[in-house]
Amino acid sequence: MEKNVSRATPDPTPTWRHPSVVANHKARTFRSLVFAGLCVACVLAVMIPLGDMLYMFAYRGIQVISIARLTGNPISATPGIGNAITGTAILTALSGAMAIPLGILGGVYMAEFSKGGRFSEALRFCADVLAGVPSIVLGYVCFLAFVVYFNFGYSAMAASIALAIVMFPYVFRTTEIAIRRVPESIKEGAIALGSTKTTMINRLVLRFAMPGILTGVLLALGISLSETAPLLYTANFANYNPTSLFHSQLGYLTGVIYLFYTSNLSFDVQLSYLATFVLIMIVVALNVVARLGLKRFSKV
Amino acid sequence: MMNERRETQGAVAASAQGFAPKAPGEMMRLVDFSAYYGSLEVLKHINLSILQNKVTVFMGPSGCGKSTLVRTLNRMNDSVPGFKTSGKVLLQGEDIYGPEVDPVLLKMRVGMVFQKPNPFPISIYDNVAFGPKIHKMTKSRSEMDAIVKDSLQKAALWEEVKDRLGKSAWGLSGGQQQRLCIARALAVRPEVLLMDEPASALDPGSTAKIEELMVELKENYTVVLVTHNMQQAARVGTNVAFLYKGDLVEFGPAADVFENPKSPLTEKYIRGSL
Repeated sequence: MEKNVSRATPDPTPTWRHPSVVANHKARTFRSLVFAGLCVACVLAVMIPLGDMLYMFAYRGIQVISIARLTGNPISATPGIGNAITGTAILTALSGAMAIPLGILGGVYMAEFSKGGRFSEALRFCADVLAGVPSIVLGYVCFLAFVVYFNFGYSAMAASIALAIVMFPYVFRTTEIAIRRVPESIKEGAIALGSTKTTMINRLVLRFAMPGILTGVLLALGISLSETAPLLYTANFANYNPTSLFHSQLGYLTGVIYLFYTSNLSFDVQLSYLATFVLIMIVVALNVVARLGLKRFSKV
Repeated sequence: MMNERRETQGAVAASAQGFAPKAPGEMMRLVDFSAYYGSLEVLKHINLSILQNKVTVFMGPSGCGKSTLVRTLNRMNDSVPGFKTSGKVLLQGEDIYGPEVDPVLLKMRVGMVFQKPNPFPISIYDNVAFGPKIHKMTKSRSEMDAIVKDSLQKAALWEEVKDRLGKSAWGLSGGQQQRLCIARALAVRPEVLLMDEPASALDPGSTAKIEELMVELKENYTVVLVTHNMQQAARVGTNVAFLYKGDLVEFGPAADVFENPKSPLTEKYIRGSL
């Protein structure tokens, strides 16, 4: 478009019909389509292998699925992953019972009671560092501390403590962040009615922050379900159910997946696939339950 | 009307001199009261009287300390780090900053409504019932129902919400939410109701409703109002306190302050040239 257009001869074509404007618009539309296409392609590049993987595990897992397989132990007439499911359940429950309350209370402390001084800064830093420590390292530390020094032996207790240490920072940080998001106006309103700080936290703040806290809890549970290395160090692996929380090894799903896959027995390999499938189903179920729970909660 | 005015003036004059611990018709009194944020003096030697069953208005330009002043009346400022006070704030003759006074129970006697409505994300019923529940004021569900109904009626909201008490409070309009906050504050049966610019975030129709409400409320409660709106102050206020940079510049009956201001600062503010 010419810069010096004199007023005596006004341009009759409207701007949106000028050739250069039209050409530019065509180019921009094309570029937008290419970009959108790239985004879709990236999603497909991730989703297709994932879908293929899920299909494979479902296919191979369902081949051997039966009540006997799910409840039986590997050393029995009908080898199964029953003890592994029980073991995973015990470990998740025990580690969750330790890490989740501590994490939530710690997060509440950091968000509501701490004065923001050096102590809280140090606490937060330690939690962040802990989240970054590889779980195998934590497993080894727990082996030295609990299995050997405190003489728990290879046990569900030692393994649960290791898992709880892995889980704690996630619950801790997400709880603090969720509580800090509660608007100050809500808290002021409660205080102005004569509420004590504790009542305000229990009746209002936690309720308001629950979606965020649940996200942290879910994250932590997901972690406890998926860990292998720290469990190998602290609980070893067994083909039977544990007889006590101390000095008694147990089986767990991730252990089955790891140890049985390279076995010479084809049964064991099939069990490995079954364990993978069951574990994936548990994670899916956990997420579904959480989403349903969140929906009900947000309805208020 | 004339008698009421003389009584107001008399009580104001007598108590401002700090003679009796509690003058007749007086609910709260500030005696040589100063407040500090750290070393910054934000309220300077305030002496004023808040009369029972009247509306006392705090006015002034931004930063004059009126919000700080109203928040000291129910000790909401206690949680601010570095906040210190000197002097006395008497509620029915007793210093609320004294050692025997429990700040939590004080808030049952002196309630507060905020500028931006802040209903809790729970049902309308539960919002109003929150105060009575945490203070264990009732023993049965029917007692609680009665308190909720009574409070919502006093806040002129009952008719609009009586069929949806279980719905979330966040579904109400701004004006309704503010009336809900008023009902919630009234549910704990306070003696004094502090209102910090309660209508400034609302549309004119809701503002008018809130002003009507304030005039009704003063029959049963002592109201302290902070407002920027001079017409509102003139419409609903009994006494007006004009604050400027932490000082109490002028205090007296509303008509006197607006029509015959004694201080040039007050006059400037009223004319809008401050």
